[in-house]
Amino acid sequence: MIIEDRNHLPQELEDIPAEKLQLAGKDNYRDEAFATAPIGFYRDAFRRLRKNKVSMASLIAILVIILLAIVVPEISGYTYVQQNVDQKYLPPKIPGLEKLGIADGTRVMTNRKKSSISDPTRFPEGSVLEIVREYQAGKRIAVDVKVDYYKYCGVPEGVYHWFGTDYLGRDILTRLFRGTRISLLIALLSVVTNLIIGVIYGSVAGYYGGRIDMFLTHFAEVLDGLPYIVVTILFMMLFGAGIVSIVLALTVTGWIGTARLTRAQFYRFKGREYVLSARTMGVPDRRLIFRHILPNTVGPLITRAMIAVPGAIFSESFLAYIGLGIMPPEPSIGILLSSGQSVLLQYPYLTLFPAVLISVLMVAFNMLSNGLRDAMDPNHRGEE
Amino acid sequence: MLKYILGRIGAMLLTIFLVMTLSFWIIRLMPMTIFENPEVSPEVQYKLEERMHLHEPKIVQYYYFLEGIILKGDFGTSVKLRPGMDVFDIIMVRIQPTMVLNFFSLLVSIPLGILAGTVAALRRNTWLDHVISFAIVIFISVPSFVFASLLQYCLTFLWPVFPTLYNAQAPNVWQAFRSMILPITALSLGPIATIARYLRGELIETLSSEYMLLARTKGLTQNEATWSHAFRNSMVPIANTIIPMITGIMGGSLVIEKLFSVPGEGGLLVDSIMAGDHFLTVALLIFYSLISLITILVVDISYGIIDPRIRIGGGK
Repeated sequence: MIIEDRNHLPQELEDIPAEKLQLAGKDNYRDEAFATAPIGFYRDAFRRLRKNKVSMASLIAILVIILLAIVVPEISGYTYVQQNVDQKYLPPKIPGLEKLGIADGTRVMTNRKKSSISDPTRFPEGSVLEIVREYQAGKRIAVDVKVDYYKYCGVPEGVYHWFGTDYLGRDILTRLFRGTRISLLIALLSVVTNLIIGVIYGSVAGYYGGRIDMFLTHFAEVLDGLPYIVVTILFMMLFGAGIVSIVLALTVTGWIGTARLTRAQFYRFKGREYVLSARTMGVPDRRLIFRHILPNTVGPLITRAMIAVPGAIFSESFLAYIGLGIMPPEPSIGILLSSGQSVLLQYPYLTLFPAVLISVLMVAFNMLSNGLRDAMDPNHRGEE
Repeated sequence: MLKYILGRIGAMLLTIFLVMTLSFWIIRLMPMTIFENPEVSPEVQYKLEERMHLHEPKIVQYYYFLEGIILKGDFGTSVKLRPGMDVFDIIMVRIQPTMVLNFFSLLVSIPLGILAGTVAALRRNTWLDHVISFAIVIFISVPSFVFASLLQYCLTFLWPVFPTLYNAQAPNVWQAFRSMILPITALSLGPIATIARYLRGELIETLSSEYMLLARTKGLTQNEATWSHAFRNSMVPIANTIIPMITGIMGGSLVIEKLFSVPGEGGLLVDSIMAGDHFLTVALLIFYSLISLITILVVDISYGIIDPRIRIGGGK
């Protein structure tokens, strides 16, 4: 059919009765149903993470440490403040391992008078295991003697301090995991606070742009220019010792990185068509920010939060070392490390256990966050 | 270029001013007395307080504080740790060990980090790369003070290679330096690993870029192309890691100084905080800010010279 008049349809097409109209190929235009279940971004990321053996090992290590931190102080049989001045500086003694000669509660005491060894008031019955060395020291004969230190201190049979005791006779195992609890709590609280402040700040700056963005960004930049240590020390001094103080002091400049990241993500996504179309349909700013744009930043934020955790643990220890930690009877990894450090050469185990724990914790968190970054990095998904 | 440098210096001065303001107000807001000595009579105490302008309104005190520092270089007098001594003099006496410790760590870590990163990238996926990468992870994660304890226990007690503590009465330079080796090592391991990790990633990316292929195509050998194209381009972004690293070294040195009894500013800061000697603390904090800002300024400017792109981008 040739249409001559381009402005009007032919008469027979102008008005077709409704009953003659029929939807063409109603049943043929259908997408093939998915044979598999849809996989979202996070499930996809998690699947990739699970393939990464190092990350999974780190995740397990972290979970085990968290579990120990929750359980051990409750079931160890000691409390973190329980003192016993007769049993100070007991070496580690672990059931099972003691038969192998490690952690058996013995210690070599050097330069003792030889005659004193047979004196039961000085060396109780059966405490002397072996004379390591015998030598002339001035006029008297001195000996280095290996003693069962638990018997030497009169600790009853069957009492074990797995990681030994400190200068007040407090059980290190209990204190260590109690301290881990505190350190992790500080890390968690400070990371969450930083995240909340940073996300809100960065969202506002990134979404509204213009003058608000300029003001907020410059403010953050000036704050960021302040040396981190100086700011943290100053605010610790202001707030005084305590968990909340540490968290606050770590928050003063800690949120800036998160804010910067969020702002950058907002700039990337706020001009996208889907955001424009949502805005055209009258979605209010708040919903645009939190429902449409913010979810795009969750992946990088999770990675960032993970990296921030070891940073916070480090800062806590650092503050403990310079005497600005939490209130004394309460332990933290940093407190234990710094108090162990002062007697490092005499009682190395006091430093050893917290040092190993903090190292494992830091390595695990770093490896996990590396794995998370790889798993969630959009570059790996062929996007952008 | 001049504009860039001036802008940077301006920003630095603003930051220093902020540090001074912040430290003044925070110290004054603290719920404790600035200056108290139970051994002197109330009249003398009042006189002393008056000499420190403690009876004027806070804002006037702030003015005196700024005026003293900026115009006269007067940071006040120590009140608890070394009563009556000028704070500035106390700091100057102990400046040398801190500087040696910090700058040697920086000087050692940059070339070693670059070396380790380059080797790992060029020998990618060989055992050498795996060893370096593993070491990088450990050194980045484990805090410097844990390494310090480990080194101290192993190398001064089990196998006494080095002196345990800093030797202030060393007969010669070598002896003094020998006692600094362990603190410098403990402080440098983290920064070395940071640089190495960054450079390794950067270099691996550059090596597979198209201009490397072009360089090979035009007849350069792999080594020539790596040296003159890949390596130089990978070096530029390292500035991003050096600046946070400086802050890290500064913070680490506070603790390391204490562990090795280095008679530097770090120990002084810790002591002054514990004793509540606020004038000294404030002066030390300003000192630390100044040092780290000047170092950052130097890095910024030298990178502005090396890479003009940064200069243009930096002029906000």
